[in-house]
Amino acid sequence: MVKVRIPTPLRTLTGGKSEVEAPASDIQSLIESLNGQFPGLKDRVCDDNGEIRRFVNIYLNEEDIRFLQGKRTSVKDGDEVSIVPAIAGGVHPGDA
Amino acid sequence: MLAGKDGRVTQHYKIANIVATEGAHLANFDEAKFAHLQALSPDERADIAFVMDARDMSAALKDVRRLGLELQVIYHSHPHSPARPSLTDIKIASEFESTRGILNLPEPLHLIISLEKKDAPEANAFRIVNGTVTRVSYQTL
Ligand SMILES: [Zn+2]
Repeated sequence: MVKVRIPTPLRTLTGGKSEVEAPASDIQSLIESLNGQFPGLKDRVCDDNGEIRRFVNIYLNEEDIRFLQGKRTSVKDGDEVSIVPAIAGGVHPGDA
Repeated sequence: MLAGKDGRVTQHYKIANIVATEGAHLANFDEAKFAHLQALSPDERADIAFVMDARDMSAALKDVRRLGLELQVIYHSHPHSPARPSLTDIKIASEFESTRGILNLPEPLHLIISLEKKDAPEANAFRIVNGTVTRVSYQTL
């Protein structure tokens, strides 16, 4: 099983859980497996072409999978995968 | 983002703002943030909202590690408001705390550059911890 850290915006799908586990051999199968447990998760992490969205990073242990083999990066039992949103900000109207 | 060592900044990484290109897709990932962006007028959105390109951010962090440096400062500008953190900035900084834990990053300072007074831009640095903002001083060498 691979341990997956879930960011706040996606916890609505995981019943509030910040950490879940899923069986997987690579990132692609991990995303499919997570989507099986938590329907809709894949859509929120991947775009229509199945690529990781540009405001999401997926880290295997501490390395961004974009610098490994992307979605074909293999994972093994005990690995930790983190789904991390990009840093965002802005001024809310009237909130300066 | 700015990186360096021992409190001294030596590297500058410009991170693309993907609001214009990817803003519409944000609803898929984070509805709350999307609603927040929608509350802004199109002009404001283009001007003041930002979402860092996750790819740029990762590439910068990787380079920082390669150089044996540390992330020290996250900065952005406020085109029409003062050089202090907005409520959103404080919320975002708090969210970043969990990312920081995952990636073993040191606590960054937040630098905000105000372009409100076109002839006198102002830049202030802050620590933002648990929603508490403390202004910190810095020197330009
Ligand atoms: Zn701001």
